Amino acid sequence: MARQGELRVEDVSKQFRVNGSELLVLDRVDLSVAPGEFLTIVGASGCGKSTLLRLIAGLDTDFRGGIALDGKRVTEPGLERGLVFQEPRLFPWLTVAQNVALGLLNAGLSKAAKRRAVLDHIALVGLTAFQDAYPHQLSGGMAQRVAIARGLVNRPGVLLLDEPLGALDALTRARLQDELQRIWAAERITMLLVTHDVEEAVYLGDRVVVMAPRPGRIAASFDVARPRPRDRTSAALAAVRSSVMTALEATIAAQVFDTPRGAPRPMAVARDFATAEGRV
Amino acid sequence: MQVAAAAAPPWPSLPRGGIAFLFPLSLLALWSISARLGWLPPQILPAPSEVGSALWDLAGTGELASNTAISLLRVVEGFAAGSALGLLLGIAMGLSRTTEDYVKPLFTAFAQVPTLGWIPFLMLLVGIGEPLKILVIAKAAFVPVALNTFAGIRAVPPIYAEVGALFRFNRWQLLHRVVLPAAVPPIFTGLRYGLTHAWNALVAVELLASAEGLGYLLVWGRQMFWLDTMMGAMIVIGIVGFALDRIMAAAEQRLQSWRLA
Repeated sequence: MARQGELRVEDVSKQFRVNGSELLVLDRVDLSVAPGEFLTIVGASGCGKSTLLRLIAGLDTDFRGGIALDGKRVTEPGLERGLVFQEPRLFPWLTVAQNVALGLLNAGLSKAAKRRAVLDHIALVGLTAFQDAYPHQLSGGMAQRVAIARGLVNRPGVLLLDEPLGALDALTRARLQDELQRIWAAERITMLLVTHDVEEAVYLGDRVVVMAPRPGRIAASFDVARPRPRDRTSAALAAVRSSVMTALEATIAAQVFDTPRGAPRPMAVARDFATAEGRV
Repeated sequence: MQVAAAAAPPWPSLPRGGIAFLFPLSLLALWSISARLGWLPPQILPAPSEVGSALWDLAGTGELASNTAISLLRVVEGFAAGSALGLLLGIAMGLSRTTEDYVKPLFTAFAQVPTLGWIPFLMLLVGIGEPLKILVIAKAAFVPVALNTFAGIRAVPPIYAEVGALFRFNRWQLLHRVVLPAAVPPIFTGLRYGLTHAWNALVAVELLASAEGLGYLLVWGRQMFWLDTMMGAMIVIGIVGFALDRIMAAAEQRLQSWRLA
């Protein structure tokens, strides 16, 4: 199937109302992702990186600016954009195959085509032997692989990954990173992965974008021009890692001393929240 | 192998099914002893053997079967109507805040009047025939089913709905693929309560206004001072109620096989 997957995020700002005051979580974010590119976004917690993914997925449409995939404006969720959450979010009453098949409910395929797509994508994540298992019978890593299969089953132009490996142990995590890389190479799909782990961001990304918190904005961008498969221990990757780390630390250090553009300090917000709660 | 041997209990233990009989059997033994030693006059507490033979007689004449069948039929009809309405109202209130705002206060007030409290009013309205029994039983089942369905639907994690939104589920797909399956456990709790309440209400309404059924057998036994018949009817009521609950539990387990590790 021909799929492009050119993603453009133009001048996107997003505010939340916290306790009567406006909190800017994304401030004029510009980002463009080439078809087939593996882009990773790394940032401290609260930098709006997950919010950005939710906007791209169409789960939240209350923002300023524009988001478009292959020239088509994002105004709602769509099957051409897949999303994998931090937790697998499988339905516990359905088997692995049924969970993946649910993604195809509105795909307009024939029964046979659906069945084939489901089996293909379960095979892609290496869980053929578990297609009739229920989620509670899977390990955390296996469940997340099912979630990835569900995210891919519609053959989306872009797959959005919201810290999908964040809750896994180090070993499973490393294995799933390799798996993601293999799937990306096999499917030639645009991937956008959000993480707080610099090593993961550099190991997987063609390009690593560093976001700064409060308000969330893009601070720096690094190309990782290394061939694949990559070696985690290579000196070249280590060099990129340390540049990304320096940029990331700068975003956190800056935040301690200045609060940009009148956004409320997190402590102040927390305090307001507490007093409001106390009054009720 | 040694580990397995060490893990085995040093004495044979009762199977779990057997434990359930332990308490009833000791109670029966106590009852027998009490009857034999005459702790209570036999007019008040007849011996178990008397009750047994009274039940045997009732079974022999077919009265037991016909009265049980009548009671069961009433419960099935009333429970079907009440739980169906309860499911509908619970789903409607669970899905729509507007419906909740309009209906919930009246429903809560309605539920606060005990089932028995409705009987005098309903008697005036529909008389003391079959419709009265069905209405009372339906009301008894309706309230817990509606409440638990409502609470169950409200408790469905919003993250599930988000997955549905991602795959562009319409309202109907969201309801029958996500919301209802996720709410099955609390809905079933409601149905089980509903059936228990329906069975209790049946006995109550048959006590007050009936010439047949297990509840009537109770009243009749008391009026004739056939306490063995009365106690026999109590035992049958208990056993049937227990069986109904077990049937619901089995259905629940079938629907939720995914929950068992």
